[in-house]
Amino acid sequence: MARMKFLCDIERCIDCSGCVVACKEGNHIPVGVNRRRVITLNQGKPGEKSISVACMHCADAPCIAVCPVDAIYQRDDGIVLVSKKTCIGCGYCFMACPFGAPQFPAGQTFGARGAMDKCTFCAGGPEETFSAEERKLYGQNRIAEGKVPLCAAMCATKALMAGDADVVADVYRKRVFERGTGANAWGWDKAYKRE
Amino acid sequence: MKKYTILLISTAFIATAVAAASTPQLMIGFGSEAPNTIWYGINTVFTGDWQQYGALFTSLQAGLFSRLFLLVLTLIPAVFLIHYILIGPKRFSHDGSDILFFPLVSRLIHWLAAISFSLLVITGLMVIFGRLLGGGSPLMAARIVHLVSALLFSGTAVCMFLIWLKDMLPMPHDILWLFIMGGYLSKKKKPVPAAKFNAGQKMWFWLATVGGGAMAYTGWYLYTFQATTDMLRIYAIIHNFLGAALVALFLTHLYMSLFAISGSLRSMISGYKPREEVEILHSRYHRL
Repeated sequence: MARMKFLCDIERCIDCSGCVVACKEGNHIPVGVNRRRVITLNQGKPGEKSISVACMHCADAPCIAVCPVDAIYQRDDGIVLVSKKTCIGCGYCFMACPFGAPQFPAGQTFGARGAMDKCTFCAGGPEETFSAEERKLYGQNRIAEGKVPLCAAMCATKALMAGDADVVADVYRKRVFERGTGANAWGWDKAYKRE
Repeated sequence: MKKYTILLISTAFIATAVAAASTPQLMIGFGSEAPNTIWYGINTVFTGDWQQYGALFTSLQAGLFSRLFLLVLTLIPAVFLIHYILIGPKRFSHDGSDILFFPLVSRLIHWLAAISFSLLVITGLMVIFGRLLGGGSPLMAARIVHLVSALLFSGTAVCMFLIWLKDMLPMPHDILWLFIMGGYLSKKKKPVPAAKFNAGQKMWFWLATVGGGAMAYTGWYLYTFQATTDMLRIYAIIHNFLGAALVALFLTHLYMSLFAISGSLRSMISGYKPREEVEILHSRYHRL
């Protein structure tokens, strides 16, 4: 069974936020909820780097461990999904998540948090595949259509990759090799000129 | 002529080299720092120091909290059941004159607090054992009830604090009361060292008011999420541990008022306690 993973190549990411816009528009995400976001370090300085991060669909996911109502579950292909009809919006998953992935739209009563919303790897939710309800609650189910998630499909520089972990890792490994970042052995950066 | 051309070219070359050398900025980020420095920067923005409080909160919430509450909910009633069977309730004669213990205002405040606090305990436990109830909108509603009753309880807790503060200050005889466990371990009616409130009631008072204040403070942030993620994790840990202590003493309070002292509930309805009960359980009460 393939294991789905995201990988953002920070040597290629140019902070265009195309992935964020594609995700928000394609999945009809409410205002204030960001399933994916891009951060930039050393902005405007040499060595500027950007990275796009959403839910990482962790193995042994902390959010699943802390959920008091078992609303979050993991598919066989590693994709972590939430049942919005089970979620009570307590926010524990947000506190457990190392990546700040869980998002909470404002609910109906007293501005209390509504059900949690997060990246679905464009794989919908527990509702019937391709049903109107699934689309309304979770957005597109592109995995069932045999497509990669919107963000990765949209990425202009192909910095963001999504799919079978082995394939993604192979592509990345090849890129690193071809870019030739050197041996990175200790002292080489000081002692020798960069080839 | 050729000489001049070479001189011109070499001058231009040197000028370019000097210009390049005067912009060392471009070289920053190439070989001057460890290749993985950027990962630390990304970690700082995204994951922070997750290993510190994130991992702690995850491990506690993943197993300990629900087990702690299960222990409190089973062990304490079991101990009281054994106490009820072995020692039984204390019965006092209601023939003598009655002593006013709780004036109308304090009774009113008490019952408002009792209703809101019971709702807090019930809805809180509903969230903790949410997986048994299946989650969804009933539990979403429980969260709202938890919020509304918390606001109500906060008000009554302040009132209770002001009404009873003087009588709830710790006294030297409270240590004696704790040593004999308030006389609840024997069937004998021997006067126990306590004024208007005994040491057990004082513990409950301080935990419910000051502890309740801490619950309100941490709970407010858990509701609004207007704090850093690390602070939210700390607040959630405090809220759960303090909640377990409050539930434990809440159950004790229920047992004492409903079962351990026969007719004790009536004193909070009418406001009067029978003289014999006060002579035994509150032997140092100044109005005796």
